[in-house]
Amino acid sequence: MPHVPLVPIGHPRESVVDRPTYDRELASHAPLVARLEERRAEAHAGWGDKYVARVHEKDKLTTRERLERLKDDDTDMFEVGTFVNHGIEYDGLRSPAAGVITAFVRIESRWCIVIANDNTVASGAWWPRTPEKIQRAQEMARRLRLPTLYLVDCSGLYLPQQSKSFAGARGAGHIFKMNSLLSAEGVPQIAGVFGDCIAGGGYMPIISDRVYMTEQAYMVIAGAALIKGAKSQHITSLDIGGPEVHVHQSGCADERVPDDVTLIECLRREVSRLPTSAASFYRGGVEPVEPAHSPAELPGLLPVDHRQAYDAAEILARLCDQSLFWEVLPSVGREMICGIARVGGLYAGFVLNRQGLIDDPEARDHQRPGGILYRQGIAKISEFSRACNSDGIPLIWLQDISGFDIGAEAERHGLLAYGSNLIYTNSTNETPMFTVLLRKASGAGYYAMAGLPYDPVVQLSTPISRLSVMEGRTLAIASYNSKLDDNFEIVSSDSEERARIAASMAEVEARIEADMDPYVAARQMDTDEIIRLDELRAWLVTLVEMSYQGIGYRRVKNPRIWSLHDLDVLTHGGRA
Amino acid sequence: MLRCAPVKRFRRLFIANRGEVAARIARTCDRLGVTPVFGVSQADLAAPYLRDRESVMLGPSRSSESYLARERIVQAAVQTRCSALHPGWGFLAEDPRFAALCQAHGITFIGPPPAVMQRLGRKTPAKTAMASAGLKLIPGSDGVLRDAEEARAVADRVGYPVLLKAESGGGGRGMRAVRAAAEVKGAYEAAHAESTAAFGDGRLYLEKLIEGGRHVEIQLLADRYGQVVHLGERDCSVQRNHQKLIEESPAIVLSDAERAQTLEAAVAATRSIGYVGAGTMEFLLDDQGELRFMEMNARLQVEHPVTEMRARLDLVEAQIRIAAGEPLWFSQSDVDLRGHAIECRINAEDPSDGFAPSPGVIAEWQVPAADGNVRVDTHVEPGYEVPPHYDSLVCKVIAWGTSRDEACDRMTEALQGIRCDGISTTIPMHIAVLGSEAFRANRYDTRAVPGWEA
Repeated sequence: MPHVPLVPIGHPRESVVDRPTYDRELASHAPLVARLEERRAEAHAGWGDKYVARVHEKDKLTTRERLERLKDDDTDMFEVGTFVNHGIEYDGLRSPAAGVITAFVRIESRWCIVIANDNTVASGAWWPRTPEKIQRAQEMARRLRLPTLYLVDCSGLYLPQQSKSFAGARGAGHIFKMNSLLSAEGVPQIAGVFGDCIAGGGYMPIISDRVYMTEQAYMVIAGAALIKGAKSQHITSLDIGGPEVHVHQSGCADERVPDDVTLIECLRREVSRLPTSAASFYRGGVEPVEPAHSPAELPGLLPVDHRQAYDAAEILARLCDQSLFWEVLPSVGREMICGIARVGGLYAGFVLNRQGLIDDPEARDHQRPGGILYRQGIAKISEFSRACNSDGIPLIWLQDISGFDIGAEAERHGLLAYGSNLIYTNSTNETPMFTVLLRKASGAGYYAMAGLPYDPVVQLSTPISRLSVMEGRTLAIASYNSKLDDNFEIVSSDSEERARIAASMAEVEARIEADMDPYVAARQMDTDEIIRLDELRAWLVTLVEMSYQGIGYRRVKNPRIWSLHDLDVLTHGGRA
Repeated sequence: MLRCAPVKRFRRLFIANRGEVAARIARTCDRLGVTPVFGVSQADLAAPYLRDRESVMLGPSRSSESYLARERIVQAAVQTRCSALHPGWGFLAEDPRFAALCQAHGITFIGPPPAVMQRLGRKTPAKTAMASAGLKLIPGSDGVLRDAEEARAVADRVGYPVLLKAESGGGGRGMRAVRAAAEVKGAYEAAHAESTAAFGDGRLYLEKLIEGGRHVEIQLLADRYGQVVHLGERDCSVQRNHQKLIEESPAIVLSDAERAQTLEAAVAATRSIGYVGAGTMEFLLDDQGELRFMEMNARLQVEHPVTEMRARLDLVEAQIRIAAGEPLWFSQSDVDLRGHAIECRINAEDPSDGFAPSPGVIAEWQVPAADGNVRVDTHVEPGYEVPPHYDSLVCKVIAWGTSRDEACDRMTEALQGIRCDGISTTIPMHIAVLGSEAFRANRYDTRAVPGWEA
């Protein structure tokens, strides 16, 4: 039966949790959300009003003003890497968002990725991790084949810290390798040069298919200062590499335009000449419809306390169109939920962890905790992941996972091998995968469910994400194992020693707890972005739509020929 | 006549409803050569309209476990090998999730696409679409309100009294009338809290409260390919607590210019929102004689026979053929609306006892024979028991005449010819209304039933 047999899931909020519990959860989320908003605002402000004024004095737009004009009216931008370098200072200087804005932006009804130097932060200089952040965005563009726009306004590498971002495998030069790969693979690249474009900044636009320059822009291997030092010539950078040179003499750029506003209009016009999105074709006449249960309720349904269970289906119900879902292989590996839903009218696969106690298939009348990977669940999600890849369905991993089951039984079951099978599957998948660290992302569970080391196109964290090898408490117990009894109580009766052990354990726990902070992961690029739970639906709609935008490069099967139907008929005998 | 010879279409059609509308849909199915399959609750198992019919029991009498049980209904439709499903009115007729569920399981839902239905269910997007297509709205906020202060500012601008309404609301919940500036804040907070609790969405919008207007609606028909026609308007101003009692067409209170302009805009709006199937736009006729859009109902209306009598068209047939992918087989210029038609809804209620429900066994039941001028739509037979679980409609009488008076006289005669024993009905009220000076002279509005004090 080739229909995709979606059925209603989820319940109204009031029949899931009572009002006081819901309000209490919202209240626990509130300070975390406030902190996120505050830090976002901080990153968006760049170096602040003084530098905004400085840009305006030059009759230029700030980078954020450019993006605002570039995007379609009434659409939202989806930024990645907002918190890269958050809280880190170089020579006493902050580098908000690593001085470059990378975002999914809708232009002329096509999703594009925009990489834009922030001209309010050290004139768009490249800080440590700026090249990595640019490359990460280029990689997202390459995987989704999104038109890539560079808004270049870059004074070059921040030289006092040059050794941190110059020479390595992901050093600044790798940006140009990514430029080349995008070009080789046929992903359109368009560059607008708005100002300084020195050295590395000079190379970045050149490989683009179309290069525009404003009258204030110049591209040079070395700027006026260096020429003066090396050749004792007094000449302006604009004379060395302005539009007069590059548009007319060198051919390094295609068009010159008078100002920022005109350049933005030209970039929009270039995008309008590209093929339109295939998404509406793949929707098959089905328009997007919001979930029947509001995504705004998500923070009240997902407890901040990672030890507290909840109904994962209620989370899913607030992410799928009309809260309709087809659970695949529902009767085996119950600790995992996997299946298909429409998201923004387009089919997507979901994998998530069921929480709370779940019947143990190995032992009658016995239950075991969810949020853990056991043999059946691993086999199930491996097979589901393979099928989605074969069918070309984008795959969304929603993690709230403590890790693999451990112990004698787990080893006897061969979880190492089943886990490796899953790792192999996810590593070789070509269908776009997106990973969301809903709450816990612990140990090998984080790996197995397509954590960042397994190359999801985008990985999102939430304000309550906890990314770590293990929980602090677990590590503290493991570290002081020999000093503890079977109930994890300190054995020693010497009060001084007891106090010392207790203090050391608390220190280990606190250190791990601090490292699990999602901002730590985000600042060192262990996750791509931190978003509010009530923003997740809009993100997923965008990510899925982008996965379907391009045409003719990835196998997107129609549901009639999905291998998922084979799985279904083999396990359920198919429907009438 | 706007009919044409039956063509190949659905072989079996599931009727996900009960009572009068179920019987009504089945009549058209019979004529088209489509086999109807009825989904029924326990309470309706022995209903006379199911005799010699195929039916499936959906569940217990409680509608939440039968006529509102989405998955059971779809499962029943699949198992009985139906290829289409008619939701009738009420129950799941305007549930976009149910429509999508049918679609996902290979059943053609007879109604507009789920996304269109969803948009019409939300107030602000629906109104924005209608306004941009040229329909006039009731003055009020431009979309949802930010806070009580904005509500106050908008209310001051449009003038009191005003009505605060829930963006995702319905059934009067999250709704507050405000008659003075000092009441805005309290009413805003109460409505916000109520709609948050009821719909999980506390957003509110505000409209000027128009009291005592006339309720006028336009019948529309759209195919899948962007062709849209209107089938004229209906006046449904004889109401009790927002329940329509008598409907007629044309609406004689309407000026020709206003009628023509609104009909045209309604067609354009229907096309612009991508509507498919039969739908009705409801308007309030204000004291300036202007029609102001209220909402669009994405389904067949109870009062559709009024239009059928004037247009000589079977709307259920049109719905089925459109759902089967047939392009509209006539154009606007082919629509010839003749004479005057009127409908009385006969409910099992006692009008002299505050319209108290009057369920029970109908011991004696006889209605006048239908002819070209009088039509009786009913599922009732002698011995039928009106179940207490559902709405109380037992019968609709529709009369046609070359003039309004002729139609009213025929209606009165038909009503007087009905013999019903065992339950109380609203027939005496209808006869009183039809005979009243206020009704005949067209001097009434939605606030009170003309010619009936009870």
